[in-house]
Amino acid sequence: MIYSLCFVALFMIGLYSILAQRDLIKMVIGLNLVEGAVFFWTITMVREAGGVPIVDLAFPELPMVDPIPQALTLTAIVISASTTALLLTIIVELNRMARTIEIDSLKGLRE
Amino acid sequence: MKVFLTAIILAFTGGALFVNLGSIPDSFLLSHTASRFYREAVVTETGALNTVSAILYDFRAFDSLGESTVIFATVSGIVLLLSRKTLPVSSAGLSLIVKRTFGILTPFVFLLSVYIILHGHLSPGGGFQGGVLLAVITIIFCIIYGSSFDLSRYPPQRKTLIETTGALLFLGVGIIGIALTGSFLGNPSAWRGVPGTLPSAGSIVPINLGVGLKVGAGLAIIFYSMIQKTLKRQ
Repeated sequence: MIYSLCFVALFMIGLYSILAQRDLIKMVIGLNLVEGAVFFWTITMVREAGGVPIVDLAFPELPMVDPIPQALTLTAIVISASTTALLLTIIVELNRMARTIEIDSLKGLRE
Repeated sequence: MKVFLTAIILAFTGGALFVNLGSIPDSFLLSHTASRFYREAVVTETGALNTVSAILYDFRAFDSLGESTVIFATVSGIVLLLSRKTLPVSSAGLSLIVKRTFGILTPFVFLLSVYIILHGHLSPGGGFQGGVLLAVITIIFCIIYGSSFDLSRYPPQRKTLIETTGALLFLGVGIIGIALTGSFLGNPSAWRGVPGTLPSAGSIVPINLGVGLKVGAGLAIIFYSMIQKTLKRQ
């Protein structure tokens, strides 16, 4: 319940930032917030008790949490970092060409 | 009007998300079968102790190969976008105290990254996390000692060589897997060793090493391209 609330709140902040902001950097920050919310939700989706997902050879029967969400989240974090870096690079180049990063001022893209 | 529309979209999405996620029962698992299989088979099938590492570099190693291709594509795109013929460099670093301190500290950063990469199958960590720490060394060189130091010691050509070596190591382990086990990226049982010791877990250690080199060099190239661009504008 509290996890769902936190996830929805983070997701909404990010979505608002993507929809309402006019600054490209702020839109990238919003995208990262949405991604962070999804990572948070994937990790907290497992509600069973258990230790870290590393086998202890002395006590191999000890319960551990589901390792699949952690592996998937690790994959997604790498992809998220890559896309963020590429987006920021495109913004840098856009700023060099158009001298602005406000999407309302980028009229030249239409012609 | 725009604000009204945004508010409606936000309220609708938030409400739908909360209603749907709140109805998930507390004992929910992603997949009982897959999760139980991973937890039971991790030591016998891979020889690794870290289940997350075993999933990433053994059970789903093909997925990780695609992931490192994404990093390669990102690095290529960034270098292409920010490519310039002449790279201006700055030899102005921080003060002598900071330089001396980081002269002592940087080898330990390298040691920690190598430890995290090589112990990926035993303890938390692995190729991606250790590779990020490897890239930190380039950031230290660029900021503390100035980017001309980094350019003279570790030129971008050498970083590209390291990245290619990592990718080829990953692919080479995959092809060795074809020869020894019959499947791409298979884990040869002859390499597994005793679980819990450092030279164990079969193909996970070389794959970790390859991914670590690739991620470290790739992130270093990304940072280097961006900081060169920034220095040019000053």
